[in-house]
Amino acid sequence: MNSMPSDSASMSFVDRVVVPGDHVLDLTGMANQTIKLGAGLRQDGDAISVMKAGKLRISKPNKYWVESSHKRYVPCVEDTVLGIVVDSKFDNFLVDIKAPMLGLLPVLAFEGGTRRNIPKFEIGTLLYVRVVKANNTMNPELSCMDETGKAAEFGPLKDGYMFETSTGLARMLLSSPPCPILESLGKSLSYEIAIGLNGRVWVNAASPSTVILVSNAIMNSEFLSAAQQKIMVEKLMKRLQ
Amino acid sequence: MEQRLANTWQMTVNERKFIEMALAADLRVDDRGPFDYRPCTITFGRHKLKYLQFSFTNRVGGSSEVQLGETHVMSYVTSQLVQPYRDRPNEGTLSIFTEFSPMADPAFEAGRPGEFAIELGRIVDRGLRESGAVDMESLCVVVGKLVWSIRVDLHILDNGGNLIDAANIAALASLLTFRRPECTLGGDDNHELIIHDIEDREPLPLIIHHLPVAVTFAVFGEGNIMVIDPSYKEEAVMGGRMTITMNSNGDICAVQKAGIGISSSVIIRCLEICAVKAAEITSKINHANLLDSQMESFNDGRSIQYPNFHPVDVAIQDNLPDVIMNKKQIENLTGHLAALPLDALDRNSNKSGAVVVGTNTRAKFENNQARDGVPFYSPSNWDPYPRKLCSCLARSSLKLSGLPEDVEEDKVNTTQSVKVECGLEHTKGASSSRALETASEYTTVEATSQYIKAPKTLKDAVKIQNRKMRK
Repeated sequence: MNSMPSDSASMSFVDRVVVPGDHVLDLTGMANQTIKLGAGLRQDGDAISVMKAGKLRISKPNKYWVESSHKRYVPCVEDTVLGIVVDSKFDNFLVDIKAPMLGLLPVLAFEGGTRRNIPKFEIGTLLYVRVVKANNTMNPELSCMDETGKAAEFGPLKDGYMFETSTGLARMLLSSPPCPILESLGKSLSYEIAIGLNGRVWVNAASPSTVILVSNAIMNSEFLSAAQQKIMVEKLMKRLQ
Repeated sequence: MEQRLANTWQMTVNERKFIEMALAADLRVDDRGPFDYRPCTITFGRHKLKYLQFSFTNRVGGSSEVQLGETHVMSYVTSQLVQPYRDRPNEGTLSIFTEFSPMADPAFEAGRPGEFAIELGRIVDRGLRESGAVDMESLCVVVGKLVWSIRVDLHILDNGGNLIDAANIAALASLLTFRRPECTLGGDDNHELIIHDIEDREPLPLIIHHLPVAVTFAVFGEGNIMVIDPSYKEEAVMGGRMTITMNSNGDICAVQKAGIGISSSVIIRCLEICAVKAAEITSKINHANLLDSQMESFNDGRSIQYPNFHPVDVAIQDNLPDVIMNKKQIENLTGHLAALPLDALDRNSNKSGAVVVGTNTRAKFENNQARDGVPFYSPSNWDPYPRKLCSCLARSSLKLSGLPEDVEEDKVNTTQSVKVECGLEHTKGASSSRALETASEYTTVEATSQYIKAPKTLKDAVKIQNRKMRK
């Protein structure tokens, strides 16, 4: 199933930059197969064509999608993002997640949340939340619990520093195995970091100079290769000493 | 309402606390020193649109773009002949207009300028006007009747913090690069005003005595923590701000303060720091302007007169390259000039003859050397390319006006120079103007220099009511 000639043609596009209009997959040779198309792909008769510029990715056996990097975020279900509280209403907090519309965080969407112990967030509180419902017509709905109802690291983030990056860099930082920049920084410094898929990153460390160093290193590492990232961190460490 | 909340930029409590805490420890979030400017890039453009026949508005504009970190400001200077104010019949006028485009910041609204837009315009205006930086009396054409009105339009393209400094640099750079058409009184009875077309006579620059540079300090804490050139986030956190407009001679042109109180000792310290920074920025602007004027003279293929170009005496930075024309190069040029046929040089209507050009060059160079004590290259009255472009001379001149490689801090727009080189490579021995026509982005070079138009007189363009008044 995976060695059909049309598959080898599509293999040539995978992990490469594609632009709208490219035909990446020819369906004529693939009868009776199911292919799942993700963001940025469309079926055009007998071929799959690209609608969004980015890199074509595949998840075996049959999931294809286009990954691109933007400064704004399009909410997707099950994404973990960093939001800023903008307002609080009777049953919702209005949270800004860099999406076209404000997210709604129900006041009861916390572990053990009842009407009696509604948390008080002032305007400007940074929260680590999960997207529960995402629709391009409605405000996305958020939650500070995981599926089972546990808190699991969600909730407000205290102290530290937040900066904004593109969604592509946020995805790179969240990749596993860990991204080289985070690894090499972690070898010499101790810090904690929270990364939102909407392009917001929160860093905290014992001293402000460490926080500044880590945040600037991450911001500069977006277009560097793994080796360049390691070299940059080495240079920074030498400068510290 | 909700949509407006969604579009405005929010600052977290974490960021605010962190920036204040870091500043208390003398650290800035973007890893700068407290008195460091962000990298500044100044780009010039000169717009030589055709002079419209029945319009008094001068379409020759000077413009500049300044990129200070993330902040991006563009300035455009135009001029117009108007009647002077009654109480100042022999002075021209200068006016500053600001446009805060919503693309710069979601908080800016299109339409009427907000409070800060007016304040910014006022700060730039005060720095230029009160200190007498631009010579107003030289803008007078006919006393009591016609003077030049200079209009500076500042467009904010991207707000990354510290708009005042960037706008000020942009205004200064565009005023330096602006040229106005030459006017003379002539005609039959010597009372007619002739506005020379930009193709007939080289337009003149403004007389600028000094460059008032604005330096903005952001104040934090209780008025004791200060940083220069605040970024967008620092501006959101700061408690107050103070802008000092100063020139490189140490004269304070203007001071503007907003926000929390600052003690006098802190203000004195700010003034001392400002003196250093003003000198640095002035040298940057002058250096960028010099490179641009060299490009301009090279692109045009004919001489540029800079009778009023006063380079300001500044503290010279170490990495500022000395652009000098040594005696050997001058001798080469004058030798080449002497070899050229005389009639080719005569064609340039208002340029001096071949013999005089050589001595002029040397004299001007020596004068400059004597004046400053530092060898300084001023493109004066020489024209090595009247009709034909000699490729060897072009190459040697390319090296002359070649871009210095060690300019770290400011990068002048080099696209012009790159294009010029390509143009020359392809067309060897072709006429200078044609080769360079394709090269230049902003300047439109005319095909021949012999294009003669009947000089425009006042009668052609004056409005009917004025005609009645004159009678």
